Amino acid sequence: MTVEEQIRDIIAKITRVDKSIITRESTFKEIKADSLDIVQALVAVEETFGIEIPDEEAQKFQNFGDFVSYVENRVAQGEKV
Amino acid sequence: MSLEGKLALVTGSGRGIGRAIALKLASQGADIIVNFFRHRENAEQTAKDIEALGVKAEVIRANVGDPAKIDEMFDMIGNKFGHLDIFISNAASGVGRPAVDIDVKAWEWTMDINTRALLLCAQRVVKLMEGRGGKIVSISSLGSRFVLPNYTVVGVSKAALEALTRYLAIELAPLDICVNAVAASAVETEALKFYFKEGLVKDSRQVTPAGRMVLPEDVANVVAFLCSEEAFMIRGQTIIVDGGTSVGLFALAGK
Repeated sequence: MTVEEQIRDIIAKITRVDKSIITRESTFKEIKADSLDIVQALVAVEETFGIEIPDEEAQKFQNFGDFVSYVENRVAQGEKV
Repeated sequence: MSLEGKLALVTGSGRGIGRAIALKLASQGADIIVNFFRHRENAEQTAKDIEALGVKAEVIRANVGDPAKIDEMFDMIGNKFGHLDIFISNAASGVGRPAVDIDVKAWEWTMDINTRALLLCAQRVVKLMEGRGGKIVSISSLGSRFVLPNYTVVGVSKAALEALTRYLAIELAPLDICVNAVAASAVETEALKFYFKEGLVKDSRQVTPAGRMVLPEDVANVVAFLCSEEAFMIRGQTIIVDGGTSVGLFALAGK
């Protein structure tokens, strides 16, 4: 599974939305993710990829694509997967 | 009041009340373990500021809502230090919703971090404090006994926290561990800015008889006292730090 697919699965599981509606352009509001869902998604993604995502960075994510790109970059930088 | 040679763990001490407590205990000579979950930069800044006071600081990341992470944190403390003198259960989170909108997820998230963390941490802390005359202080809020809009699940978690504090105080007394809580009204912190945004607190200054908002340092001063030998006979209490707000009903009624 790609990074994007894994994160999509994590978010869909938390927000209980059909993962087919989650695109790179989807905002968190469109995915029906409230602030608690977002924190829980961050925690789950951190555990999955063995990285740490500071809130300062997470607050910059405008949509699902931003979240995925950030994690992809971190993973590409040689973080433990 | 000297805490020289003591080792303190303050959960959620990257910012706000936890940071003020960490710095206060450090200023009295204690080495500090700074725990954080979401804000590493703040935690590292707190550690730097602690070291500038001439004591040691250690930064540990752990979500205290996750039992496995609590275990990892205490395994690390046990391996590295082998003991602990002071434990401040300060880390908190919450979901600002009225009772009818609180789902299981929001309930569990809040209770796990605000209440269960004290239980699970205390179980580990006890072993590290053996024979050392330890101090445990939990940080509560006025929402444990007074109703604030949308503060429901946090208030309930704090009420349970205070009850747990009483039980721990009695059960741990034979182990020479003092356990108390400090409950503050709205304190000027980052978290409060969040609540301002959410419309929870309009302007606490207007309803504080002492004439100003409670500062993190006001809470830290009381915590430091509870960690001193002077407070040895205070057990299982929740000390309110609110500038008189909770007893000054005239102020709440708009004078």
